[in-house]
This record gives sequence, structure tokens and C-alpha cells, in this order.
Amino acid sequence: MDAIPSSVLLLDEELRVVLVNRNFLEKSHQTAGATVGERLNAVFPEVILAEMGLEHQIRNVFKSNCATEGQRLTYRAPGVPIRVYYYSVVPVNWGDQVDHVLLLLDDVTERTRLGEEIRRMERHLASIVESASDIVISTDIRGAILTWNRAAQAITGYSLEEVRSRPLFDYCELAGATSIRRLFSKGAPREMGRTESDVKTKNGGSRPVSWVFSPMMDDSARTVGFVAVGRDLTEQRKFELQIVESQKLAALGVMARGIAHEIRTPLAVSSSAAQFLEEDDITDEFRHECAERVQRGIQKASTIIENLLRFAHPSADRNKTAVDVRHVVKEAVTLLENQARIQNVEIRTEFPPEPCRVLGVPSLLEQVFINLLLNAMNAMPNGGTVRISAEQSVGELRISVADTGVGISPEDRDKIFDPFYTKARPGKGTGLGLSICYSIVDQHKGSISGDSEPGQGSTFTIILPVLFPADEERDESFESHDSGSGRQS
Amino acid sequence: MSLLNLMILVVDDNPDICWVLDHLLGKLGAQCVRASDGQSALQAMQLHRLALMLVDAKLPDMDGLDLAGRVRGADPGVPVIMVSGYFYEDDPDIQAALAQGLICGFVEKPFAHAAITGAMEAALCSREAAPAVEAAVVC
Repeated sequence: MDAIPSSVLLLDEELRVVLVNRNFLEKSHQTAGATVGERLNAVFPEVILAEMGLEHQIRNVFKSNCATEGQRLTYRAPGVPIRVYYYSVVPVNWGDQVDHVLLLLDDVTERTRLGEEIRRMERHLASIVESASDIVISTDIRGAILTWNRAAQAITGYSLEEVRSRPLFDYCELAGATSIRRLFSKGAPREMGRTESDVKTKNGGSRPVSWVFSPMMDDSARTVGFVAVGRDLTEQRKFELQIVESQKLAALGVMARGIAHEIRTPLAVSSSAAQFLEEDDITDEFRHECAERVQRGIQKASTIIENLLRFAHPSADRNKTAVDVRHVVKEAVTLLENQARIQNVEIRTEFPPEPCRVLGVPSLLEQVFINLLLNAMNAMPNGGTVRISAEQSVGELRISVADTGVGISPEDRDKIFDPFYTKARPGKGTGLGLSICYSIVDQHKGSISGDSEPGQGSTFTIILPVLFPADEERDESFESHDSGSGRQS
Repeated sequence: MSLLNLMILVVDDNPDICWVLDHLLGKLGAQCVRASDGQSALQAMQLHRLALMLVDAKLPDMDGLDLAGRVRGADPGVPVIMVSGYFYEDDPDIQAALAQGLICGFVEKPFAHAAITGAMEAALCSREAAPAVEAAVVC
């Protein structure tokens, strides 16, 4: 009996202790001599016995021959901290007669403390999730909403009751919903997923949200759902917009000087040529030359202004369609083939056999490749090779235009996309070509970068988002979302 | 103030502007030397006895004001006139360069030919009025 990790007392009908185990003696700080043979009220404090009605329960067990249901007993032995017991009274039969009862007491103090601790932790965790200023949502494996914190309610206006069991992507704008749906459709991804998607609000509006999806695992490391944490980007977007605006102002300052220099130079030539024409003693030949230079100067100034307009408004043509970049490049190459041959420049294209589809404006994309090819040709005054290649990887199309020309010096590399920055020989370039490329690619939600070593040629790489057939089906709504979100970069 | 037979360096990377100034200076009887960048201009200084320089603000290898600074360091007796569409007349950069004596005149593009002639004459007059500078040129 001493091996039993519970306190055990064997009591007779007179409620005297017949046997007691070591566990009880240790817990109650009593000795066997002071316990065995004593009545129950000498072993337990009177107040406990009265409050718990223990004597009454024991007599009932003697009568009924039925064990009591387990109950809690809080007991504080003199000089020791309070303990919590879980006890029951069990009859010990001799034939049909109950001649003794066992009083079993389990010390559940620690378990009770742990339980309270767990409940406290749960309350604490719940309070963290509820107090978070970020959206915290849990979903099942298919994306149906299970929980939705206070921030989610504050940002969207929907309460948990309204959204419970509904798919999360129902509350996201189309483009984002597509990528979130893709995430869920992957089955049970074990890794985090990130995306940005506008979330629909109850009042019919939308808020930009940056999402991080983490899989929820059960004990056997099986993905059973997702935790989605979303950060409201409204304020960040406003801030970004302010930065973009201030950058535009700074760029305008730089551009104003560039424009002034580029346009006033041909105007100065026209003006001077006109002044020469006013002189009496000029030859017919010089008069003819002057008139030609007046014309040419005006034409140059006008071309610069036109390029500037293209740079400022590359989005004038908003009719984006599904474009196969291979065809666009082919068109651009056809236009420049002749010039390339004269300059002894070979243009090679290496494209995958399958279509390289993006959503874009064909004429603008063609302009990008024309500008890049012209740049490459200018960098190879003694001839060379331009290699245009494309490859498609996860969701993006990467197109490289590599030349074997003079290259770009490290100090110029940061400035190549700045308007009016040029290393071209006078009259060969205005410094707007790459700025226009940058502007157009940005308009197509892509990126352009240049890599070069002096003397080793330059490679320009354009990355554009690939057009998925599913996206293509909803071109129209894709577009309306696009213009509505007002993203800037 | 006559420009007759004076050697004047035109520093501009635009061949059309060089054509204009070449003609203009030729009509005035001056000799025109051309340089299309800053380094060539500094080399031309070694080769020719220059009366003055007409310099553009933006050159392929350096800014016109930087070139003016280097010219002053190399030979303070050669006046530099900036001829440019990049700045405007009361531009703070131009006013500062004039105050520092980096340049002795500024002509905005497009220009009246009389403005160029006037700026050159004023520069040469002020040079003559400063004997110390003249001495430096002779050295």
C-alpha cells in the first residue's frame, strides 16, 4: 500500500483509521502512531470534515455499498502550503457486507496549478491575437475561415460570425485572390507563403494588405490549416506615394536642366543660323547651309520633346492585351535589321519554342526592344553581336539583350536610367532611350536592370510577369483592379 | 576691343554649336580652335596661346565649371566664358562661379551673336585692366 502514489486510509464503521499508507502520512505531516486507531475527526481538521460532509458520505457508503463520485478537497495541514485533493470513498466488502471503506485521496495540487497555468496562457495567447494590430486569421486546409481577430474585424468591418466557414479568398480582390487560391490549391504546403492582396471591406471598399501564410501542423506534422497574418498597408502606401511624389519632384529638377541643355542647343544652332541669314555678304552655298541648319535644329528640338512625351505618358495606350514577346522582339529586329547590317552588327535571337505571353501594350514593348537594340548598336561602332534571349521560370519571363560593345563604366552604371544621361556621340542620342524603357517596363509591372563591364559589353535584363491562361480569361477585371489599386513603385 | 588674330578655344561636344561659333569668330577675324571635351581643352591650352575660352556647361568627361576651375589653376590669365543652355543667367551656380572668378562671363543658349561678341570684348577688356593677370599670361 505504501507504493501507491495516492493517500489511502482504511476506515472501519466507527470511522477509525485501521490502516494508513506512507503517502498520507507524508502529506499530512503525521505519524502512523498518531493516526492508526484514531477517529477520522482526530486525523482531519473538524472544519474540513464539516464542510465536505465527509463523515456523512462515508456512512452512506457503508449503507449503500456504492463508491462516491470523485470530489475535490482543499486541505491545509498545519505549517504546509494549501493542497488540493481529489478524493473518493470506496467500500471494502466482506461477502455482501461492507465492513470497511477506503478513503482515497489524490494530490492534484500540481495538476490544478498546471491547468490554471494553461488556462492563463490560453487567455494570454488569445489576448495577444486579439490585441494585435495585424490581421490574424486561421483557416482550415481549404482556406475556410476558423478564427478572425479584432484587427481583422476593424480593418474589414466583418465580424467573425459573418465570415466563419467562408473561404478567405472571397474577401480578397481578384488578383490577390488568384494567388491565394493557388497557394491553397497546392494541397498542403509546408512552407510559408507571402503575397499582397487588397482585402474587401464591408462598406464596399478595399484595403491593401500584405499577407504571410503559415501552415498549421498537428502533432504528427500534418498540415491541418493555415494561419494568415495580414498587415494593413494603407498607411505605408500613402507614405510610399509621398516618397514617389518627392522623388518625382527631385527628378523633375534634374530633368529640367537636362531638357534645357538638350533643347536649347539645337535651338541655339537654329537661332544662330537665322542670324547668319540676315547678313548681306553671304554666299548662296552658306545661305543654303544656314537654312538647312535652322530646319535641322528645330527638328532635333521637336524629337526631344516627342521622346519626353513618350517618357511622361507611356501609358497613353491602355489597351493591354496578351502579347507574345517573341513576336514583339521579331518586329523590333525587323525594323533595325538594315541599320544593323550597315553597322556590321549581327542580331541573334534565342527563344523557347512555346509562346512567351505577357499582358502588355505591343507597341510600347516594341519600343523597349528598339531602344535597347539602338543602344547596343551605338555601343558597337565597329560591329559586333547582339544576343536577345528569353526564358520563362516561375511566373516570370526574363528577356536578356546582351551586346559585345564598349560596356558601361562603374560610375555611369547608376545613372543609365536617368533621363538625359547619355554617353552617345553628339547627335546620336538624347539620353532618354533607357529612361523610356524603364518607364514602359515599370508600366508593365516588370523590372529592367543593366549589367556591364567596360570593354566586355552590356547585358540588359527585363523581367515581366508571365500571363497565365487563367489571368487571360479575366483580362478585363484584372485591368480594372490594376487601375483601381493605384500601386506605385 | 578687336578680336583680330586672337586665338579662341571653343569647348563644346556639339558639332553644330562649334560650326556656329567657328563662323562667328571667323567673321570677327579671330582664330577658332575646337575641343570636344575637357581633356582636349586642357591639352589645347598647352599647344596654343589662347586669348579666351568659350565653354559649354556639360562636356562628356567633366562639367564646364570644373574645367573652368582647372583652367584657372593652370593659367589664370585665360578668361573663360560659359555658353550654355543648361543654366540661366541669374542661376545661383553661375552667380557663384562669376563671384569666385571661375568664369568671367555667361551667355545663355540660344544667343544673339552680339551677346557673344559683347561678352568676349568685356572679358578681354577686364583682362587688360588687370596687369597682374597679364603678367601671368606672359609667363
